[in-house]
Amino acid sequence: MKMSELPFYKPHGNEIELFEHAYRNRLPLLIKGPTGCGKTRFISHMAAKLKLPLYTVACHDDLTAADLVGRHLIGDGVTYWNDGPLTRAVREGGICYLDEVVEARKDTTVVLHPLSDDRRILPIERTGEILDAPPEFMLVVSYNPGYQNFLKGMKPSTRQRFVSLRFNFPGAELEQQIVIGETGADAMLAKCLVNLAGSLRALKEHDLEEAASTRLLVYTATLIGSGFDPVEACRAALVEPLTDDEETAEALMEIVYATFGK
Amino acid sequence: MEEQVGALWHKLITRAADQRYPAQAVTLEQIKKTAGILFRAWGGDSGLAVKSATATAHGAKRSLLQRIAGSNLKTELTWLDGETLNLPSLIDIFPERSLNRDLYLWLIALAAAESDSSFSWIVRNQAATLAVLAKFPGLAPRYRRLVEAVLITRFQPSEPGAREQEAAIRAALLNPGSVARLPPARCAPQPVCLWLHPDPPVTLPAAGGGKEPENHEGGDSKKSDNERRYQAERVQMPEEKNAFMMYFRAESIFSWAEYIKVNRATEEDEPPDARPAEDLDKLSVAQDGKTSASRLRFDLDLPSEAADDLPLGDGILLPEWHYKKQCMQPAHCRLQPMVARNAVPLALPSHLSATARRLRSQFEALMPAKVWLKGQFDGSELDLDACVQFTADRIGGLEARETGLYKAHHYRDRDLACLLLADLSLSTDAYVNDHARVIDVIRDTLFLFSEALSATGDRFALYGFSSLKRENIRFHVLKEFERKYNDEVRGRIAAIKPGFYTRMGAAIRHASQLLVKQTATQRLLLILTDGKPNDLDQYEGRYGVEDTRAAIHEARLMGLRPFCVTIDEKGGSYLPHLFGVNGYIVIRKPSELPRELPLLYAQLTQ
Repeated sequence: MKMSELPFYKPHGNEIELFEHAYRNRLPLLIKGPTGCGKTRFISHMAAKLKLPLYTVACHDDLTAADLVGRHLIGDGVTYWNDGPLTRAVREGGICYLDEVVEARKDTTVVLHPLSDDRRILPIERTGEILDAPPEFMLVVSYNPGYQNFLKGMKPSTRQRFVSLRFNFPGAELEQQIVIGETGADAMLAKCLVNLAGSLRALKEHDLEEAASTRLLVYTATLIGSGFDPVEACRAALVEPLTDDEETAEALMEIVYATFGK
Repeated sequence: MEEQVGALWHKLITRAADQRYPAQAVTLEQIKKTAGILFRAWGGDSGLAVKSATATAHGAKRSLLQRIAGSNLKTELTWLDGETLNLPSLIDIFPERSLNRDLYLWLIALAAAESDSSFSWIVRNQAATLAVLAKFPGLAPRYRRLVEAVLITRFQPSEPGAREQEAAIRAALLNPGSVARLPPARCAPQPVCLWLHPDPPVTLPAAGGGKEPENHEGGDSKKSDNERRYQAERVQMPEEKNAFMMYFRAESIFSWAEYIKVNRATEEDEPPDARPAEDLDKLSVAQDGKTSASRLRFDLDLPSEAADDLPLGDGILLPEWHYKKQCMQPAHCRLQPMVARNAVPLALPSHLSATARRLRSQFEALMPAKVWLKGQFDGSELDLDACVQFTADRIGGLEARETGLYKAHHYRDRDLACLLLADLSLSTDAYVNDHARVIDVIRDTLFLFSEALSATGDRFALYGFSSLKRENIRFHVLKEFERKYNDEVRGRIAAIKPGFYTRMGAAIRHASQLLVKQTATQRLLLILTDGKPNDLDQYEGRYGVEDTRAAIHEARLMGLRPFCVTIDEKGGSYLPHLFGVNGYIVIRKPSELPRELPLLYAQLTQ
C-alpha cells in the first residue's frame, strides 16, 4: 500500500494517542464498534502515520488457524511452506489487523494467545518454528458487539489480552466534517444527511436491525456529488441497504422526503 | 315513512353541511406501520403505541348548515399521553388522497417535535410547527399545500370576537411564530386540524393493585375490532350519603355522562356493544366496593390445593422492571414451579404420528457430525494419500489430474440447547377454528417439537407458564434438560390446560436462568404465545410490555437468543419493541403452528 499520503481520518477522542502508546509499549489492541463507523479507516490511517505495513484479514466463519499462520503448498515433487498473513506480519514487523474477529471460529483465535501476551511469540506447529515478534509488530482486532453477535461473542480469555477501545458513530458536527472531508459535499448537504442519519438511528433495534452507518452517508454523498438525484441517492444508498421490508422502506423514504422535499 | 324521510334528510343535510371526501379517505389502519416508524424516527418515544383517538367536542361556532344538520359537533384530534400516540382514525377532509395522507404525516411530525406544554395552545403549536420545519426542511412545501387546503375548509364567522380569533389562527397558520396570543371570544375557536389537541386528556395510570379484567378473557367471546382508546377518567366512588334515596331509573338515561352512583346492582351479561361510549367525551370509571359476580367467578378459578398441580419447592422470588421509575424492583414476583399431579404416561396421540414420523426423518439429517474431508482444494492439512498418489502419477509419467491435495476439518457443529416456554394463559382457551382451541394447537406443537428435537439429539426443555398477579406465577415443568423425552413427559404435555394471565417477564427471567446453566454455544429461548403480556394488577399495557422487554434484554446479555413465535395477528404494534426486527414471527394460521415450529427451529439453528 502507498505510504506517502495519509488516509483521511477525523479523530473522535483520544484514540490516536492511545494507539501510539499501545504501539510503543507493544500492547495488542481491540476495537469494538458498529459497522461503518470508521474502525478500518482508523487502522489504515494509523499504519500510514506510523509508517508500518498493514496486513488486514477479514475474518469469516470458515477462517482456520492455517489461513492465518500458513500452510504447505505442493510444488514440483516437494512441499513449500507458505506464510499466512499473521506469520508474515510477525516476520516483517507491521500491523496485523483481524477485522470482525468474532466471525472466525473459536479455535482460530487461540493462535493469537501467545502473541498477545508478554511472550509475543508465534509458534508454528507445522514447521516447528517459534517466531519472536519484533518491536514493530502490533496485533489489532476489531468486532461489532451488536446483540446479534452475542451468540459468538469473544471468549473472555481472548478479550482480556487486549487494550480495548470503543468506537461509536461520531457526533453530528464531526460526522458532517467527515462527510465533507470524504466527498467534498457542501455543508448544507452534509447537514441534511447527518440529520437524516440521526432519524434513522433512532429506529435501531425497533424497526431496523442496524443503524445507518457513516459509511452509508459517505456513499450517499458521493452519489449526490457525482450528480445523482438526492432523493434517489438516499433510496439507493441509505434506505434499501437498511431494510428488505417494503413497507419499512416506504416509511424510511418519507423520512427522506421530509429532509429533501417532495 | 316518517323515519325514511328523516333518514334521507339527515343524509342530504349532513352531506351538504360537511365537506368530506370518503372516496379519498386515508385510514390510520392503512398507515399504521409507517406512522410508528416515522414517529420514532422523528424523535418520538419508541415505547409509545399508535392508536386511533376518540372524537372530542370542540364547542366552536358552526356554520348555519352544520347547525341545521346537527353535525360537526366533534372532531378527532391528535395528542400524546404516557402510553400512546393518539391519531384520528380516518382523514377525509381534503379532496385529494395525497393531501389527506400528508396531513397524517404532518401530525406525526408535530407530535414527535418537543414542545413546552406550559404555553398556550396557539403558541405551543406555532413553536412545534417552526421546530418541525427547521428540522425537516423537506416538509415545508407540504405544509404550505396543507395550509392552503385547510384555509379553504375553514368558514369565516361573522361575530366580532370570533372573527378576530379566526384571523389570528389564519395568521398563525400562514406565518407560524407570528401570533403571541389568541384574542378572546365567546365561543371556542374552530378546531385546527393541523395542530395538536388544545387540551390533551391525561390518562391516569391504574392504581397499584387495582383490578382490571383482561379484555379478552372470555374464551369463546368474539374479539372486538374496536381498538379505539376511550378517554377515561378515574374518579373516586362517591360515598352514598343517603342510602334510602331511590333514584328514578329513567334519569340515568339522560345522565350517562355524569357520574352518578345509581342504586342498581351491577348487571351480568352486559351487551358487548359499547356504542354509547362513542357518544361520550369521557368515560368515568370508578372502583366500587362490590365485585361483580362475573369477576368473582373468575377469581375463584384458582383450584383447591388438592386438585391443583403439585408445587415444587417454596417458589422463587424474581425482580420486575418498573418502567416509570426506571428501576428494577427486587424480589417483586414469586414464581412457583409446578408439575401436573395426575398426568398419566402415554404414547404420542395417533393423529400426530404420521407428521411426527416425517419430522423425525427430516431432523435426523441435522444430526451433528465432525469429519475430515479428503481431497479438498483448500484445507489446513495436506492430504497425504492424495499427495503420494499425485507425485507417483507424475513421476510415472501420467498426466497430472486436477485433484485436491488438502484435508479440511469440516464442522457441522450442532452444539445447542433450546428452551421452549409456552404461554398457558386463559386466552389460549379461545377457538382458532371449528375444531381446535389455541391450547390444543399449543399441545400438538409441543408434541411435534419434542419428536423432532429428540431426533436431532439437541438438548431441549419444555415449560409452560401462566400467572395470577405477582405473587402467583405458575411455572409448569413439562420437561427439564436432563429428563429424557418419554411417555411421562408426553403425559405432562397432554395435561396442560389454560388458566389465568400472562406475566411474561418473570417467566422469561426464570427460563433464562435455567437455560444459561447449559454449556452449549448456541442457546435458544423460544417463547410461544398468543398475545400481549398482561395480568390482573398493573401488569398491562406499557408496564407489562416494558418489563417483558427488560427481561428479553437481560436474556440477550446472558448470551441467550430469545425468539418469539406468536399467533397474535395484531402483534405488529408491540412485537418489534419487545423482540427487535428479526426476533419474532407471527404465524397467521394458528392451525399451521404444530408443523411450522419444528421447521422454524431448523432454520433458526442452522
